[in-house]
Amino acid sequence: MTFRTRMLVSFALAVVVTAALVTWVVSVMTRRTFEQADDRRTATLVAQFRREFERRQEDLVRRVEAIAAMQSTLDMAVELSRPEPDYAPYVNEAGALAAAHALDLVELLAQDGTIVSSAQWPARFGYKAEWVKEQADWKDAFLKSEELPNETVLAMVAVRAVSAGGSNLYVAGGYRLDRGFLGSLVLPAGMRVLLYHNCEPRFSAQALTDAAGPARGAERLAPLIEQVREERREATRTIEWPDGPETFQAIPLEGRQNELLGVLLVGSSRRELAALAARIHWAGGLAAGFGILLGIGLSYWAARRLTGPVAQLARGAREVAAGNWNARVSVASRDEIGELARAFNSMIQDLISQRDRLLQAERVAAWRELARRLAHELKNPLFPLQITIETLQRAKEQAPGEFDEIFRESAATLLAELANLKTIIGRFSDFAKMPAPQLEPVDLNEIVRGAVRLFDAQLRAGSHAPIAPELDCDPGLGMIRADPEQVTRALHNLILNAIDAMPAGGTLRIRTRRAEDRAHLEVSDTGQGLTKEECERLFTPYYTTKRHGTGLGLAIVQSVVADHHGKISVESEPGRGATFRIELPEG
Amino acid sequence: MEVRAARALEVGEWPMVFETLVRLDESGRVQPALAISWRHDASGQRWQFRLRPNMKFHDGSPLAGEAVAAALGANGWTCGTAGPEVVVQTGAPVAVAEFADARRAVFVRGSDGSLQGTGPFRLAQWESRRATLAANEDYWAGRPFLDAVAIEMGRTAQQQLLNLELGKADLIELGPNDVRRAVQSGARIWTSAPVTLMALRFERGRPAAEDAKLREALALSIDRAAILNVLLQRRGEAAGGLLPQWLSGYAMLFSAARDAARARQLVTGAPLLSLASDPADALARTIADRIAVNTREAGIRLLTQAGGNADLYLVRARIAPPVAGPALARLAASLEVSDLFHVSGPGLESLYAGERALVEEFRVIPLFHLPEIYGASPRLKTWATPGLARTGEWRLDDLWLDSELP
Repeated sequence: MTFRTRMLVSFALAVVVTAALVTWVVSVMTRRTFEQADDRRTATLVAQFRREFERRQEDLVRRVEAIAAMQSTLDMAVELSRPEPDYAPYVNEAGALAAAHALDLVELLAQDGTIVSSAQWPARFGYKAEWVKEQADWKDAFLKSEELPNETVLAMVAVRAVSAGGSNLYVAGGYRLDRGFLGSLVLPAGMRVLLYHNCEPRFSAQALTDAAGPARGAERLAPLIEQVREERREATRTIEWPDGPETFQAIPLEGRQNELLGVLLVGSSRRELAALAARIHWAGGLAAGFGILLGIGLSYWAARRLTGPVAQLARGAREVAAGNWNARVSVASRDEIGELARAFNSMIQDLISQRDRLLQAERVAAWRELARRLAHELKNPLFPLQITIETLQRAKEQAPGEFDEIFRESAATLLAELANLKTIIGRFSDFAKMPAPQLEPVDLNEIVRGAVRLFDAQLRAGSHAPIAPELDCDPGLGMIRADPEQVTRALHNLILNAIDAMPAGGTLRIRTRRAEDRAHLEVSDTGQGLTKEECERLFTPYYTTKRHGTGLGLAIVQSVVADHHGKISVESEPGRGATFRIELPEG
Repeated sequence: MEVRAARALEVGEWPMVFETLVRLDESGRVQPALAISWRHDASGQRWQFRLRPNMKFHDGSPLAGEAVAAALGANGWTCGTAGPEVVVQTGAPVAVAEFADARRAVFVRGSDGSLQGTGPFRLAQWESRRATLAANEDYWAGRPFLDAVAIEMGRTAQQQLLNLELGKADLIELGPNDVRRAVQSGARIWTSAPVTLMALRFERGRPAAEDAKLREALALSIDRAAILNVLLQRRGEAAGGLLPQWLSGYAMLFSAARDAARARQLVTGAPLLSLASDPADALARTIADRIAVNTREAGIRLLTQAGGNADLYLVRARIAPPVAGPALARLAASLEVSDLFHVSGPGLESLYAGERALVEEFRVIPLFHLPEIYGASPRLKTWATPGLARTGEWRLDDLWLDSELP
């Protein structure tokens, strides 16, 4: 992973984490705020409903009082106060009163609780309703479970007594708490009311109604209703409907004897708040996403801006490493990166100066070495020449009779040494004139075998202990593209070096193999070996460890290998021989 | 004049248009009508009537013996003429009062297909909800005082009462609960003898109908007196038997008393029964509800409903006077219990035994005998008798309007 990538990932991670954290905090705070707002709204709605419920109770009381105050009611009370009253004429009165006063329930009851007339159950005349005698002075409306011909309903009832002739005529009027009543309530938007009639020992879904009829999803509200039935106090619960949440406040409805007659559920829809919260969450998520993308973009820009100079530095370093000493880093910033770039440029400049100095020193050293070598190489043949000439001079002066004989011998010596000088000069000339390789398909194994055959006699020569050649040619090596003359020359130099390294005899191992699409050639000897310092300088031109070497043999080998885009290395330790390894590309 | 059409229009129920050979007066005695004299053989199965001379139908055609024979023959009797007399073979002994039965009225179809009678009024116009009667100028007993009678049908009780109070109607049909208001508005109340039976009828084939104890318990659980006193405003009689007292003379022998304790003993674990009543009859629905209240105390739960199929039906059955035997047979037929009605021989005792056997099956539970009730405008005048026969038919020929009144 690059520095830029790491920096980009770090920046992006920081942005994402920050954005996610901010979004989460906003989400939590929004939810809490909305929940508090919803609680306040629900409380307000419930309070509104209570006021509406109380208003309906007061309205009911007023209507019943209006009936009780009617002259016809008073007349009826007077008639019914007589001994053995006749109820028959009034049997339909309650129905008429209920219709006239828009009441669901109206009953006229005699002093002893006998039902004189009933609007809700006309056929129930003559039966007694003992409950009406519980109080002499009825005041507020109350809830009552009212029995009807085919059902029992929950009702809001008010009672007023009309006194006449020392007895009371009770007027009981009321509303059925049913879907009609629920539908008639003036409720704020987003609110609905459901009524559970507690007429069964266990929860019954059929007993739960709303303004539209039997309530849908009643089973979901069962736990809340059961809670109110058990605890006899208000409870709140939020129900998650498919179209959104709804908070229900359940209010127990108790009768005169504190018996639980029903449960009123005031539902406050949280759909709008939930939708608003969802929109905010969505917008927050969108902003976070946008922020993350923007952050990633800025991170990329910043990373690029920060790592650009570093990349330039790296590129400059690579160029310098590749030999382009003119490479420079152009960074204009004044920060640490700019300082680094300037230091880099300065370092390159210093390196160039050092290199130049080094090259100058090396050049001087090389010339000195060349001069020393030339002097050494030329001095050897010159000294015999000087001795021979001096010998001739002395023979001329001191032994003229032997001069001819001496002259012939001296002339031969002079010619031999001149030939030696010519050879030395030819070697230097050859090294200087190393031609460019002429590449052609070459069988390296065949070159190796040819070289061994060429040197076979020399290996077995009596001038030194015999050297045993060992060949290990890879049959799968195949052909490579190379200059056969130069490769042969390099191999000859290595074999000559090996022979020189083994004056006491030994083994010359030559091995070829193919690896990683390259041809490998190893030439090993079992000679006295080389020190580490010798290995490092071994390929320097004119450097030699031999008494009579020119120091050009391995330099020529290295030159040939380099011209073929190959590599050469040496591995050696003192007393353990040396191994030269050459790698040549196939093409 | 305006009436509510409480029953289908039948020629026999319009004696002011269609007359019988004889008629019953207010005392129940047989009086000559289209026939001025009659005789019968010893068995009471062969009757000979001498028609009133020079009689004509409303369209002017003469009242011939053949026309009378044809009209009477439509009732299953064998009829013919013998000189000036009409001969009727009844196939069974009958009383002369049976010839006063409105269903034995005499009529012919005119050339235009309309029904032609001989009564004091003729049918001048007939529409779906309105009929107009015009005075028969040639009526044998003298032209009626009224020139015409307009009859409006299909009006509710409330509409009729309102029309009476506004002077837009002179005679209206009343329910028991309307009487008080009609009286308060100044109307005179005309009431017939009880001519309608209100009863509970078990639907054959249903499980409840086959439980004799349940049927008896249900009959014993009903508080007829309370219903009669309150819902029917004492207009009628509690019925233990099918025929009213005025017609049979033995109705008081049937008990109509409630015995809730006995009812509770008879029944245990009764199923929920359904009781249907006429959806258009509000009074019947209230009575059905009351019956349900009564039976609940006896442990029998009744679910009342307006119309539809049910275990029980609260029905009204018109009692066709004037003779008890045929009336009872017809009542049994209309209540679908003819198979339970058997009379061993002539005479009232046999009739009583037959009726008791029928009633004690409790497949039909008699509840009330109800009269026809009409409210008459104060300007509608009459001599001594009201414009309503004891048997419930209108008697409009002796009425007139007091034009002096507003």
